[in-house]
Amino acid sequence: MNRPYKILVVDDEPDLEPLMLQRMRRHIRAGRYSFVFACNGLEALDRLNEDGGIDMVLSDINMPQMDGLTLLEQIPKVDPNIRSVIISAYGDMKNIRTAMNRGAFDFVTKPVDFKDLQITIERTLAHMMEWREALSYRDKLVSIQNELEVASRIQQSILPSEFPDDLRYQVYGNMEPARDVGGDFFDIMLFDEGQIGLAIADVSDKGVPAALFMMSCRTLLKGVAIGLTEPGAVLGEVNDLLHEDNETMLFVTVLYAVYNPTTGEFTYASGGHDAPLLIRSDGSVSLLPLTDGIALGVVPELYYKQHTITLSPGDTVLLYTDGVTEAQNTDGSAFEVDGLKQIFAGSSAYRKAREGTDLVFKKVREFMGEASQFDDITCLTLHRDN
Amino acid sequence: MDVTSQRTGGALIVSVEGRVDGANARKFQKAVEGVIDDDRAVILDMENLGYISSAGLRSILLIAKGLQKRKAQFAVCSLQDAIGEVFRIVGFDKIVTIHSSQGDAVAAMGS
Repeated sequence: MNRPYKILVVDDEPDLEPLMLQRMRRHIRAGRYSFVFACNGLEALDRLNEDGGIDMVLSDINMPQMDGLTLLEQIPKVDPNIRSVIISAYGDMKNIRTAMNRGAFDFVTKPVDFKDLQITIERTLAHMMEWREALSYRDKLVSIQNELEVASRIQQSILPSEFPDDLRYQVYGNMEPARDVGGDFFDIMLFDEGQIGLAIADVSDKGVPAALFMMSCRTLLKGVAIGLTEPGAVLGEVNDLLHEDNETMLFVTVLYAVYNPTTGEFTYASGGHDAPLLIRSDGSVSLLPLTDGIALGVVPELYYKQHTITLSPGDTVLLYTDGVTEAQNTDGSAFEVDGLKQIFAGSSAYRKAREGTDLVFKKVREFMGEASQFDDITCLTLHRDN
Repeated sequence: MDVTSQRTGGALIVSVEGRVDGANARKFQKAVEGVIDDDRAVILDMENLGYISSAGLRSILLIAKGLQKRKAQFAVCSLQDAIGEVFRIVGFDKIVTIHSSQGDAVAAMGS
């Protein structure tokens, strides 16, 4: 701060003004302090309102019209960041206590020891500066927090919120981020001849860098998927695009599948992602075989294998991220793939995609209990109708 | 999470204990990089590592990348079953050398 600290001195004794200016002259000349004077509380309030920029108040207690204790109550109404120091009679603990309770930062006693007063002023100003700095950090933090909330809304808004309306199949997905901005996403793409593309992905790490990586991954996947029909080829292309200039070593695991509603053929390729869960109409559950692909963004020019299964009417495929299987309860044990299998094993309780996804979220929440969520939880369900 | 290190048979062995997740992945990476000098072979022993998240895997990639830049060797060893499964699913068993024991790793890399 370059301007001098402005100190308002309030006292009904006219002697104090010349004395103060004389004893503090070196600090005034050095441009450290400047003084404003008032002879009672009312005049002090006028100064505070009109003069502006006053950093601290040094006030006597007993004064006509408005005393120092009343003034103390009024100062925060003008500016809550102004710090006050009270000048009291020696040993007047009652008034000193009252002043402290009303927010005085410190006190000095009469007769004023100017050396002690100067130390008190410096201490008060230092405290005030720290306070102002903390306030400015808080404001910045609030603004970052607001931006993160916007980022989170943008992230949520890119997730499909409407799902295809088709008599032959249903698809439904949901994602719950662990923090403001997450690294998971899912996507549903409609192609010519009624085929659909389904993607679920999990970016390593969370926070802003992961969110940016996730956005670019999603955009690339959407773009590439329109031009290429084979899931393995799509992952290969997206991998190369993500790998370019990826110094951060962020990576993304992706399960990408194309479903043909006419034939029931479900062709998928995995880039380091968890194996999908297949729930047959008879209630038998199994993990689909992994296709041994490496997570995207790490190594260029990879060939991604793909695998095809055929869904019979009543069958369901469930795609998920490890936020589901690694969800922890308060004992520290994980939900695991077994937990996921158990939800659906032997059951014919649910028969719709939305119910499947919702059931996973419900069961994971029940399992977690009071434990906190460490990872984004995402689930995307495809169901072939009868 | 705890990181300790020793030099055996021409290789630096860095042992990591506990959990590595999003909350301490950067600390883990710094700790490992901190004990690496101009070693030609670095082995990350995971015998006592109970959990690693994808953020932790990314830290391992960054450590490996740093070593690769100066042509030093890098491998991991003694993975618990669950950790081995994570490596396999993500496909990192194909890009990071994995040895079943510290002895095997030293024999393969040390000089």
